[in-house]
Amino acid sequence: MSYIDVVDKVDVPKPARFYTPPAFETVAGLPIAYRRQGQGEAVVLLHGAGFTRMWIPLYQMMAEKTDFITPEQPGFGETPLPKWFRTFDDLTQLYDQLFDQLGLDRIHLIGFSMGGWAAAEFASFYPRRLKSLALITPVGLRLPDNPGVDIFQLPAAELFDRLFMDKSVMMEFLPDAEDFEEGIHLYSEFAAAARLMWAPRYNLALERRLQRVQCPTLVVGAEEDRLVPNQMSDRYAEVLPNSRLVRIPGTGHEPCLERPRLLADALLGLIEEAK
Amino acid sequence: MNKLRFYFFHLMPYPHIPPTAEFPSSWVSLSNKHYDPQRGRLLYNEYIDQLVAAEKHGFDGVGVNEHHANFYGTMPSPNIIAAMLVQRTSHIPIGVIGNAIPLHGNPLRVAEEIAMLDVISGGRIISGFVRGIGCEYFNNGVTPADSVERFDEAHDLIIKAWTDDGPFTWQGDHFYVPNVNIIPKPIQQPHPPIWIPGQGSLETLQFIARHHYTYMMVFSPLWFTKMAFDGLREECHRLGYDAPKSMFNACVPTYVAETDEQAHREAKAHLSWVFNTGLKIPDQLFFPPGYMSTKSFRNFVGLLKKGRVKPQSQLSYDELIKDRYIIVGSPETVKNQLGEYCDQVGAGGILAVGSSYGPMPNWMVMKNMQIFAEEVMPEFREADGKPDHLRLEPPAPSTRSEFSARFGQPPEAARSIVTGGGNELVAHRLAHLPEIIDKTFGQVERDERPASAG
Repeated sequence: MSYIDVVDKVDVPKPARFYTPPAFETVAGLPIAYRRQGQGEAVVLLHGAGFTRMWIPLYQMMAEKTDFITPEQPGFGETPLPKWFRTFDDLTQLYDQLFDQLGLDRIHLIGFSMGGWAAAEFASFYPRRLKSLALITPVGLRLPDNPGVDIFQLPAAELFDRLFMDKSVMMEFLPDAEDFEEGIHLYSEFAAAARLMWAPRYNLALERRLQRVQCPTLVVGAEEDRLVPNQMSDRYAEVLPNSRLVRIPGTGHEPCLERPRLLADALLGLIEEAK
Repeated sequence: MNKLRFYFFHLMPYPHIPPTAEFPSSWVSLSNKHYDPQRGRLLYNEYIDQLVAAEKHGFDGVGVNEHHANFYGTMPSPNIIAAMLVQRTSHIPIGVIGNAIPLHGNPLRVAEEIAMLDVISGGRIISGFVRGIGCEYFNNGVTPADSVERFDEAHDLIIKAWTDDGPFTWQGDHFYVPNVNIIPKPIQQPHPPIWIPGQGSLETLQFIARHHYTYMMVFSPLWFTKMAFDGLREECHRLGYDAPKSMFNACVPTYVAETDEQAHREAKAHLSWVFNTGLKIPDQLFFPPGYMSTKSFRNFVGLLKKGRVKPQSQLSYDELIKDRYIIVGSPETVKNQLGEYCDQVGAGGILAVGSSYGPMPNWMVMKNMQIFAEEVMPEFREADGKPDHLRLEPPAPSTRSEFSARFGQPPEAARSIVTGGGNELVAHRLAHLPEIIDKTFGQVERDERPASAG
């Protein structure tokens, strides 16, 4: 394996709703897709294992008040998956370099679900880079008494049912089962997630390393998360030194899609306090 | 050479589970609380007896394989069953087809066990390598996204461990071993024949063509097997050689009875169970993320969408018969259909013929085996009726005298300097003779000292 592989862009299907074309920044030979809009405090959001390629209402709300940047991680959306990409450490270094190349210095970092784990990993290595940290229904810690459901084992219908408390929002974001290319793309995104998260589904070092994160931190939990146990956000809030926990009413695992206004207000409040 | 080789194949199912409608999958999630070890003991021993009987019935080989966390095949370690067969048979080739090498933390364990089996059996082992079916990754800590890479690397490591003199260092992407030096090494040179079971993916065909291995098509309709075999022939051509017929094996469960009607009557429920219950696996378990390359996944889902292939759990018995997943009938019918099948796909061997299927009772398995051996096999054999391996020189001598005649004494026959006996090397073979042992240690004298209390 070479030190750096140059990876070509990939053709991916475009969702019918909320799609916007991304910009690309090449880091370590890898063209990273990202979307950026707005002015003010630099805010970076790391997505979860799905709903990529879209400029969803939450992003728009954030971009109205901040310089909002959301990159797509290797193997997701329009960022290709290089052979060498295997761990959250790889991801953390990529993001650090990406932020340098985008001219960002200190940022407000937000991560959702798998991106919550990624944001926690980043924060533990580069705590001085963060003005604030927000983790939305994150994963990545070990809950000894409650491993939760095996997300990779769920049939699509059950996965979506568990993701959303608000079924009207679910219906809006349910991918078209007849869309062949979208189905293939989602399989490849899950393959990228499996590289990072199949086993184990936690990082035991994270609880210790997160002690370094002194910036104001908000942990956003669901009202009732049927995919990742609510104890996960409880545990993050316990572990993070300068944190508080909010639960967004009316939400399951997807506060970003289910209650964007409430969530945006909570995130903007944190950013205002920490800027 | 016979026209066709026949392999008795066993999955060793545990069939006493709730009816299919009551669970989403007979793999991964159907609780092992349904497994009763007392009943399991009876089944295992019955199954082993069946495999042993295949030798006396004249099969070309017997086959076992590895599966995990399911009721369709309860052999998480096929090498253990193979070890028992090695001891209870004398000449039949034994196929472990195969070991799921990416699923294991240390591929050398497989290299060692297969080498042990090959040595003890006198070179009768066929070594199959598989990735494990997708759902087996759910009961394991190995990510399916690494499956292909781990398979390739484990394969390379095992072959090198068998063929190169150790010790050597293995510095892989997935495995690191400071000193590879397996003992024993296999009898068959350069290594036991390698069979690769597969479902026709291009990556698998290219791998087999590159290594000149033997392909084994798993349960599939005839047209699909033909497509895969044609694909493999093409890949071999591309590499500049004609693939011999012996490279192509298909698994076609075959049940034979006195008449067509009687055969269907006896086999229908059990053969249906194999597909409809034993292989009830939902898509998301069958294709865990990254188990297939995006390209292979696209091809396969394309075939599913076009209705060209159906999940095995949804195949009716009539479809199984019509598409030649299975062959059932009188000896005449089975002979004809097997002949046609092999002519059409160009197979050199058929697995799972005259074998045991799902919950089929022991007596019925034995009936199938006997009628198959007596009334079907001879059609595809030379006049002597023997399996090919009985006409060939066995890979190892079968008696001690034959061994001595051929191999004599080892080049490094055991010899050592015995502590307290000076610096002379003593040959152990003769070390007990007075002219050697007495010369080294002096006369054996009666020890006059009192026995020590300690």
